[in-house]
Amino acid sequence: MPDNSPEMSLQQAVLQITSLSKSYMMGEVRVDALKNISLNFYAGELAVLLGASGSGKSTLINIIGGLDTPSSGKLFFYGQEITAATESELTAYRRRSIGFVFQFYNLISSLTALENVQLVTEIAENPMSAEEALKLVGLGHRLSHFPAQLSGGEQQRVAIARAVAKRPELLLCDEPTGALDYQTGKLVLDVIEKVNRELGTTTLVITHNASIAGMADRVVRLRSGEVFEDSRNLTRLSPSELVW
Amino acid sequence: MNLLHKKLLRELMRMKGQMLAVAAVVACGISVFVSMSSVKYSLEASRERYYSRYRFADVFAQMKRAPEFYSETVSRIPGVASVSSRIVADVTLDVPGLDEPATGRLISIPEYQNIPVLNDLCIKKGRYIEPGKTEEVIASKPFLEANHLLPGDHISAVINGRKKELLIVGMGLSPEYIYEVQPGAFFPDKRRFGVFWMSRRALSSALDMTGAFNDLSLTLAHGASEKDVIMQLDHIFKPYGSLGAYGRNEHLSDRFIQDEIKQVGIQITFLPAIFLAVAVFLLNIVLRRIVATQRDQIAVLKALGYSNEDVGLHYLGFAMIPTAIGAIVGTALGAWLGRGLMGIYADFYNFAELVYLFRLEDVALSVLLSFAAALFGALGAVRSVALLPPAEAMRPDSPVTYRAGFFDRDALRKKMPITLRIIVRNLERRPWKASISVLMIALSVAILIAGRYTYDSLDQMTKVEFIDKHREDITLIFSDPMPPSVRHSIASIKGVIEHEYYREEPVKMSFGYRSRRQSIKGMESASGLQRLVDKSGRQFGLPSDGILLTTTLATILGVRPGDMLEIDFQQGRQLHGNVMVSATIDEILGLSAYMDREALNRLAGDGGALNAAYLRIDQSKAGELNKTFKQMPGVGGVMMLKALKESFDELIAQSMNTSTVILTTFASILAFAVVYNGARISLSERGRELSSLRVLGMTRREISLILLGEQAILTLVAIPLGFLLGIALSVLLAHALSSELYRLPVVFSSFNFLFAFTVIIIISALSGFIVNRRLAKLDLVEALKTKE
Repeated sequence: MPDNSPEMSLQQAVLQITSLSKSYMMGEVRVDALKNISLNFYAGELAVLLGASGSGKSTLINIIGGLDTPSSGKLFFYGQEITAATESELTAYRRRSIGFVFQFYNLISSLTALENVQLVTEIAENPMSAEEALKLVGLGHRLSHFPAQLSGGEQQRVAIARAVAKRPELLLCDEPTGALDYQTGKLVLDVIEKVNRELGTTTLVITHNASIAGMADRVVRLRSGEVFEDSRNLTRLSPSELVW
Repeated sequence: MNLLHKKLLRELMRMKGQMLAVAAVVACGISVFVSMSSVKYSLEASRERYYSRYRFADVFAQMKRAPEFYSETVSRIPGVASVSSRIVADVTLDVPGLDEPATGRLISIPEYQNIPVLNDLCIKKGRYIEPGKTEEVIASKPFLEANHLLPGDHISAVINGRKKELLIVGMGLSPEYIYEVQPGAFFPDKRRFGVFWMSRRALSSALDMTGAFNDLSLTLAHGASEKDVIMQLDHIFKPYGSLGAYGRNEHLSDRFIQDEIKQVGIQITFLPAIFLAVAVFLLNIVLRRIVATQRDQIAVLKALGYSNEDVGLHYLGFAMIPTAIGAIVGTALGAWLGRGLMGIYADFYNFAELVYLFRLEDVALSVLLSFAAALFGALGAVRSVALLPPAEAMRPDSPVTYRAGFFDRDALRKKMPITLRIIVRNLERRPWKASISVLMIALSVAILIAGRYTYDSLDQMTKVEFIDKHREDITLIFSDPMPPSVRHSIASIKGVIEHEYYREEPVKMSFGYRSRRQSIKGMESASGLQRLVDKSGRQFGLPSDGILLTTTLATILGVRPGDMLEIDFQQGRQLHGNVMVSATIDEILGLSAYMDREALNRLAGDGGALNAAYLRIDQSKAGELNKTFKQMPGVGGVMMLKALKESFDELIAQSMNTSTVILTTFASILAFAVVYNGARISLSERGRELSSLRVLGMTRREISLILLGEQAILTLVAIPLGFLLGIALSVLLAHALSSELYRLPVVFSSFNFLFAFTVIIIISALSGFIVNRRLAKLDLVEALKTKE
């Protein structure tokens, strides 16, 4: 159900999702991954999309990120219809507006931390410097290390630096702590929270870890491809206060 | 079929492009091996069969004129099995439909037995001559076919100064003329040279040779010493102007076939070896990649209870099945190619029956070799599979480690765009793989270069032989040595612009214990119609006093410039003398010795005789001149330089085009297999990275650049290396294919390099294009869900 509270409707909606459905064939079985979802996300929001495996959260974030197309329904990004975009328009959309953080970091193993970030700053329109982005995630001293020389947490922070260096309008984090231990996971969430707070980037974090919901402005719970709860936290917890 | 077999087949189908590329490389190697070894065996067998069925002689001797009873004397020499004496003469022919005069070699055959004792004839059409009919002749098949003549047609010849009409009654072939060339020529000119067999009685009366012979052939008894028999023959016929007896190994026709067989033998070794080496490499990289991507499956199989052998053999199947397909296709292709090649040989060589024999041993050997190669290529990967503990296999492969390399120096790095940095690091990280890929692509470039090298070589040969060296239009070869006064009668012929003469004197040359039958050419000048030009086109002068030897002849005799050579003249006064080797010249064709004609006359101790004339003519008078030469007495042969060049060009075009097409195709397959597999493996290794880059906003073009850029760099590095390897391979080939008959000059045209470059670029672009299409199908979402 869309959040149409009076104070939110004053703010500009970054994303408008209307009646979005996605079904696909898995072998010979039809899977309805998303069923008629309508949601708006607003500038500067840090939202956590919570759901168990198979709830449709990854499908949703993939459609939002321009990696997948819905079966029906529409998605608008600042009023532009993304669901009607061509392949090259989608590439440009990802290039310009979206920052991705993946569960498995997806760093380029043949590039150093700095270069992995430069990979994005070289093709972005108004990026921050790669060094600056790495400083932001606390890796100012590990610039010339290759992924194989970094810990998992450090690799994920490089991935976050890479995602935010282009100053995206939307930061999409897909299970960012999924492959990390407790302490490192919290460190990474700290960085995501910091980016959201300091840069004001609209941030969507998808996770199956309910404890993470505490750090968000807003929590959207998904179940079997449907939104079954969309709530706001009165206060955001700092990631260091989270326990799981 | 058990489940592992099913898995194997399904996965092979899934990677059919790569597997077909491997199979194609194996098929190329096997088809070259099978076709070449079957051609070699077929040539050997056809030759042996022909020789034994038609009683080809073992030893040959030519002399001026020897009394007939000496053939009886020879038959009593210990070791001689059978003897045949003949009369042989070269005459000028007037062939219907041919403007220029042609040359005929007349060979006597017995009138009554219907069968020569040695060097028998295979009558292909028509019949044997009838006793008493002196005008009847059997003509050689290539000559008749080239001139569109048939039994029943007439031809006229000038024999001993008299014109005689000859009736062709049969079309025949002889083991003596499997390679049919005019004496003094190296290349067949089927229209202008033919062999004719006619009755001994008719020929002896026409040539005033009754009760005498000038040609002797004999076969040796089992275990007899050829050398001893030759010595005795030389002794017997010395007073009769013997040119020295010789065995089959010096028989021109047999030499050409022997050389051909030797050359085919060389091709059997080098080409398949290259293809198998590439197959080993391809299987190695492909299997390593399969094993790397299937670590979890290997673990599961082992956890389920499959033994190391089961799993190891399963992965070995990935190497063996494409090899088996390659072996089957290669064998069939090889048999087809072999048969086709034999068809080309049938145009060059006149066998009574050219049999195509396909030996199972050759197939078995090649298949065995390719399976050994496949096993060798797969061994490393299969071993790692067998040794991998299941628990370890469950864990992902250890992450790829990169370190700063040469290109990471600050100055360089700052200039390189990130995509280029990714490419360079990938190459730097596995220098061995990159180097071997470069080597494999370079080998295909090398095959292209070496395949076309013979073109350039033959071009150079044509240039040196037909332009630089010979400037005459016509060579008149006299039947008998002429006195110097002949120049006046030739000079008086209307239309002759320039005329130059040479003496050709058969001698025995000796240095220490080595000796050789050879003729010395006494020239008037080396700057007139005939010049002395080596294989690189360098011009030599004629020594005023010494002797100039071709390099190969000098090597055979073991002499160097400055050494004194002993000369025994075989004819005339048969003097013995010494002459200093002044220099050596590396000529393309044959073995030669050159002297100044005056110096040769002095050494021979006579006033000089002339054996042939080079003429430059006024082309507008060619018609009249042709008529004159057709009837000119005392002329045993007429050679037209232009006609020789034309028939040489035709011959070369026919054979070279086929082999160039085959080699170009095979080299292209090789290059495609290497580049395509390289790109496919890169795609498999880096698919996830490339997907991540796409998600991060890179365009398809940008990620193509990363994927194909690596292959492009490898290809660009490989091309110059391939040029060098191609040159080395050509030099080796030139060396291996050189014989006493000819030495291939080592020359390369820029077109050769341009051709190889273009072919490789097209092939690389094509394989890049095919792999690039797969980039469009990258599953961006999937890549993000899985860990490497």
